[in-house]
Formats: sequence, structure tokens, C-alpha cells
Amino acid sequence: MAREECKALLDALNKAIACYHHLVLTVGGSADSQNLREELQKTRQKAQELAVATRAQLTAALRDRGLGAEERAEFERLWVAFSGCLDLLEADMRRALALSTAFPLHAPRRPLVRTGVAGGAAGVAARALSARSLRHEAEGDFDVDDLREQECEILQVSEMIHDMEMKVNVPRWTVQARQTAGAELLSSAGACSVGAVSVQERTGPCDPSKALAATVFSAVLLAAVALAVCVAKLS
Amino acid sequence: MAGGRPGAQMPHLSKMERVVVSMQDPDQGVEMRNQRLRITVIPHTVAGSDVVDWLVQKYCISEEEALHLGTLLVLHGYLYPLRRPRSLVLRPDDTPYRFQTPYFWTSTLWPAAELDYAIYLTKKNIRKQGALVGHEKEHYDQLHRKISHTWDLVVMQAREQLRAAKQRRKGDRLVIACQEQTYWLVNRPPPGVPSVLEQGPERSSCTAGRVQMNTEFYKREMERYRKALTRARVKSSVCLEAYLKFSSQHAPHDPIMSGCLPSNPWVTDDDTYWTMNAPSVTVPTKLRVERWGFSFQELLEDPLGRAHFMDFLRTEFSAENLSFWEACEELRHGGQAQVHAMVDAVYQQFLAPGAACWVNIDSRTMERTLEGLQQPHRYVLDDAQLHIYMLMKKDSYSRFLKSAAYKDLLAQAVIPPEAKRRVFPFMRKLPHSSPSPALLPASTSGEPVAAASGPECGDGGT
Repeated sequence: MAREECKALLDALNKAIACYHHLVLTVGGSADSQNLREELQKTRQKAQELAVATRAQLTAALRDRGLGAEERAEFERLWVAFSGCLDLLEADMRRALALSTAFPLHAPRRPLVRTGVAGGAAGVAARALSARSLRHEAEGDFDVDDLREQECEILQVSEMIHDMEMKVNVPRWTVQARQTAGAELLSSAGACSVGAVSVQERTGPCDPSKALAATVFSAVLLAAVALAVCVAKLS
Repeated sequence: MAGGRPGAQMPHLSKMERVVVSMQDPDQGVEMRNQRLRITVIPHTVAGSDVVDWLVQKYCISEEEALHLGTLLVLHGYLYPLRRPRSLVLRPDDTPYRFQTPYFWTSTLWPAAELDYAIYLTKKNIRKQGALVGHEKEHYDQLHRKISHTWDLVVMQAREQLRAAKQRRKGDRLVIACQEQTYWLVNRPPPGVPSVLEQGPERSSCTAGRVQMNTEFYKREMERYRKALTRARVKSSVCLEAYLKFSSQHAPHDPIMSGCLPSNPWVTDDDTYWTMNAPSVTVPTKLRVERWGFSFQELLEDPLGRAHFMDFLRTEFSAENLSFWEACEELRHGGQAQVHAMVDAVYQQFLAPGAACWVNIDSRTMERTLEGLQQPHRYVLDDAQLHIYMLMKKDSYSRFLKSAAYKDLLAQAVIPPEAKRRVFPFMRKLPHSSPSPALLPASTSGEPVAAASGPECGDGGT
């Protein structure tokens, strides 16, 4: 059904944008490298593809006059979320461009800010592309050409947003979001296993590993008790 | 980007960023250490004392100044403390700090967007499993009300960002979370902490409207200078003398320069001073009567002075001058609808030949006034009024000041006594210049005081 498809596309777009945001966070920092720039480009392009596809579907659905009131409300909700996503993407793309220009990886090199983030972000990009892993194929000086591409893509995205505003008339304030305050707590997956934030020497409570440790400990204890009983019986 | 270019509006930010970037130099930058958590090792920690030393050495400044500069860096979020994240101070010891990633620098991400803040709070809510407290909870509820239509997006993004973060190794995850927390501590400070990014009123930039240097512009400039040439000028020696005279004359009358008898009502909550200087009081204070001698304007402005002057003029049979002047004032400041009627009344009473109180105006002014009366408006009698005013000033006013009436007034005028200081300053009773008549029969210094402070003794006594 069209609604399921739209929802799936929107979820994928949302995922790509979240991963892109996560990657842009590290531009200019100690984790910046040609690989990161390549990952940024791939994620960005994926996000744009998804955006174009979602937009086509949503516009088609909203233009359909024969839509029931409830269905229309549903599509309008999706529309508002979609345009919010696009705004976030455009803002992040602009920031990425500004940061990439300010911290170029080609000569003359400016020292990158030593932020303490050292690892690679290949996993994040792979998640965005819904792939298992990412292969880096960039040569050196990737970022120089990438800058020009970024500018074009930013313009494309702003045009898309502008088009959307002109062609589809959905007043945002009339849309009633389905999620209420605190709705994020209802989903249990991933709620506790994110880990603590503080840098103090305390690791977050990770239930699976604690459960494992508890079972191992109790097994060892039982074995010790059994041995003691045997020894007592023998002697 | 929203909000214009923050670098242009807040130039101190770009300067701070240059300092931070020069600290990153691998050869000449600040010394970095590693931070060791239980099993993870996170690099790029810098100690507060190292920062101060580096600043002192690089910019050749004193240690105090380096500490201040370092604190500014921390306050604006370019460095953040690792142990106590909420206290944004630079301590010159081995307290560990770390640098903020350029994404979260104020110049990249200013002003902070509400949607981003909502996503951050939602992420925190998920991590703390619903235990948001204090101002963050309030902000969360507020944001939910404000942008409830995009709340779906907020929840979706928050969940996805957390899942994306899980793809990183643990050390990186911690660092990124700290960075975000610092950013929001700077941009949405908790209550009681002053916001470092607050700016005063918008300053207009100098690039507002370039002036076209064409003929029109020069014509206007010439006109402006021509008018300026014809302005009346006073020599500064003359006007400074007048200024000195004014100051020395008015100094004893100024409550701040010479104190206020009986007591300053704003300080002691005792309004005797105001009652004694009320517009219509039987016996005026000495300072007030002296003031009438300074200038004619002072005399006319004070209602009591005007009344006494009127009495004096009656003895001289020239009271119609003052009445005419008062009528003209009423015309000038009265209602528009009454202008016609008033002009007629004034004409009948003062200006018509054979009028009851005919005023003596010179022929030229009279001609002009009579012409103007054809189209009456509120300023039509201005010339005549000015003539009479100058007449009174030159003639009657000087005689009034030398008259016996004025001298009597001066003699009878009251000098209010200073209010007695309370021995126990924290007693609830307010200080009074004279005790209550119920307790004591007479006042402290003569009948005029009792007469003048009589009215307020009733409400003064407890």
C-alpha cells in the first residue's frame, strides 16, 4: 500500500539523515580524514536519492483528490515529517560545506582540532546505506572535488524544498503528530543499552553482560558447593 | 544559515577560534595527555595549567590575563571540563579539559535551533529513561507544546541518532555525548547561569545605505550650512558665566547637594517635606520664597508665588496684566473646541476699546493681534502675551522684589527643622519632625513650625 511504502521510505531517509548528522559532527576534528569525507559523500547521496523518491510518492498521494479524510491526515503527517527531515539535511549539508572548507585536508593543511574522537565511522555510514560494510575507494585529494559537488547538491536540495512549498499546500500547524511527549520511552529496544554519558569512571549498566556474568558466577558457585559436598562425603 | 553570520556579529568568536586552532599545532600547540577510563583510553586531554602556560608563553601575557582568556574559552564552549561538566571555569591545575569539535562551535551552529534542542532533550529522556529533571523537563514540556506538529520527526530522529551513535566505539561515543552536552550547556544555560551569548540591542552597521554624492546631496548640504551660519551664537565665556551663576544660585536648593529639610521622604518615608512644599500652603518655606527672587519665570511657575504677585499687583492697580497673561496661557493650553470662544472672551475683556480690564499694548502689536483675530487659533495672542510678560518682568517684578510684602514673606517664611535621628534605628515607628500633639503640647521651635506641620501631625502620631 502507498502509505506503507511512504512510511518505509521516510524511515530510511530519517536513518540516513541521522547518520549524516553523526558524521558531520566529526568534520574538522581528530577523526577527520579522506575516508570520512568519502563516507559523508556517500551518505549524502543516498539521503538525496531517498528524498527524491519519498517526495515523488508523497506528492502523488497528496495530489490524489479521492483520498479519505483520515488517509489525507496521515499523509499530511508524513509530509510534515518529510519536510522537517529535508530542512535538517540542508542545514547539515551547509555546515559540512563550511567546515570542510575551513579544515581542508589537502595542502595547505590546517591542524585539525584534537577532540579525542579517534575511531572510524565506517559503521555509521554503512548503517545509513543499509549495507553491511563500506568499502573506501577514494584517492587522496578527494575532498577538493567533493567541495564543488557539495555546493551543487545543496542548491538542489534547496530547490527541492522550495518546490515542495509551492506545489503542495499543507499547513503545518494543523497537523496533529501521533507521538506524544514521552513517546520515545515506550520503545524498549535500545533504551538501556546506549551506555552512560558521564566521563566519570563508571560504565553503563549493560544488562546482557551482567546477566552473563551472573550465570557464570552462579555456575562456578554451584560447582564449588558440589565439590565440597563430594569431599565431605568421601572423607 | 539562520541568524545571519555570527562571525560578523560576534567578532570575538573568530578570535577565540584562531587561538584554539593555534593550540592544535603538533609542534607548538598545547601538550596533550590521555585519559584513562576503566578499559578505554581516550586521547587529547589537556590540563588547565598547561593551557595557562601555553597562553602565557605564546602571547607574552601575565598569568592572570591568561587565566581570564582561558576562562573565556571555556565559557564559550571551546574547551570543556571532563570532571565537572556543568562548571565552566578554567582551573589552573591538572583538571582535565578537552577541545570542542568544530561542528559545535558557536560560529557554525548559531543560533541554536529549537528542533535540535528538542531532539537533544528527547535523546536524554531516552537515556535517562524518563528521569529528566529541573529546567530541562520544563523546556521539554514547553517545546512539546510549541512544536507539537513535528514531534513525530523529533522522536524518529532522536531514536535514529542514538542508534547511529551505537555504531561507534565506546570512547568515541562518550566524547561525542560530552561535546553535545557542553554545547547545550552554553546555548541553553541552566537557570541562574548568565548566558554568554547574549548580545545587547542590535547595533546598526556602518554599511547602512551608501550616500549618493550627486547634485541633490550637495545642494542639501549647502542649504544646511547656510542655515547654520545664521544661528544665534553665544560666546562660551558668557554662557559659562551664566552656568556658574545658575549653579551657585541653585546649589542650596538642591536636595542632593545641600540636603533636604526636614528629611528626604525617599529615605525616611516621612513626607513632611512634600506637605510643607505643597502648591497651596499657608506659610511657604524660606527656600521657596528665596527662589522667587531668582527669575520672573520661577515666580510665575509657583502657584503660591503667582498668587502673592497678583496681590501685589492689585495694590499697584495693574492686576489686569497678570490676568491677561493667565488667560493667554489658558488659551494656549486649552482644548481646541474652546479656542474660538476663549479668543472672543479675551478680546472682550482685555483688548476691546473700553474693556473692563484694558491692557496697555503698543500700537504695532495691537494692530497685528487684531488682524490675527480674524482667523483665531490658539497662538494668535502670543505677541501680545509676550509684550505684557516683558512689561511685567521689567517693571512690576523688580518692584515686587523690593516691596514690603515680599520682605514680610521672607521674614515669616519657615525653615523646617531637621528630623530627629532615632536612637534605635530599627524601631518600627517612623521619624517625625515634631512629636504628636496628643503627647506634647508645644512643638520644638516656634509657632510657625507647629502651624506648618500641624496638618500632618494628626496622621503622624501613632
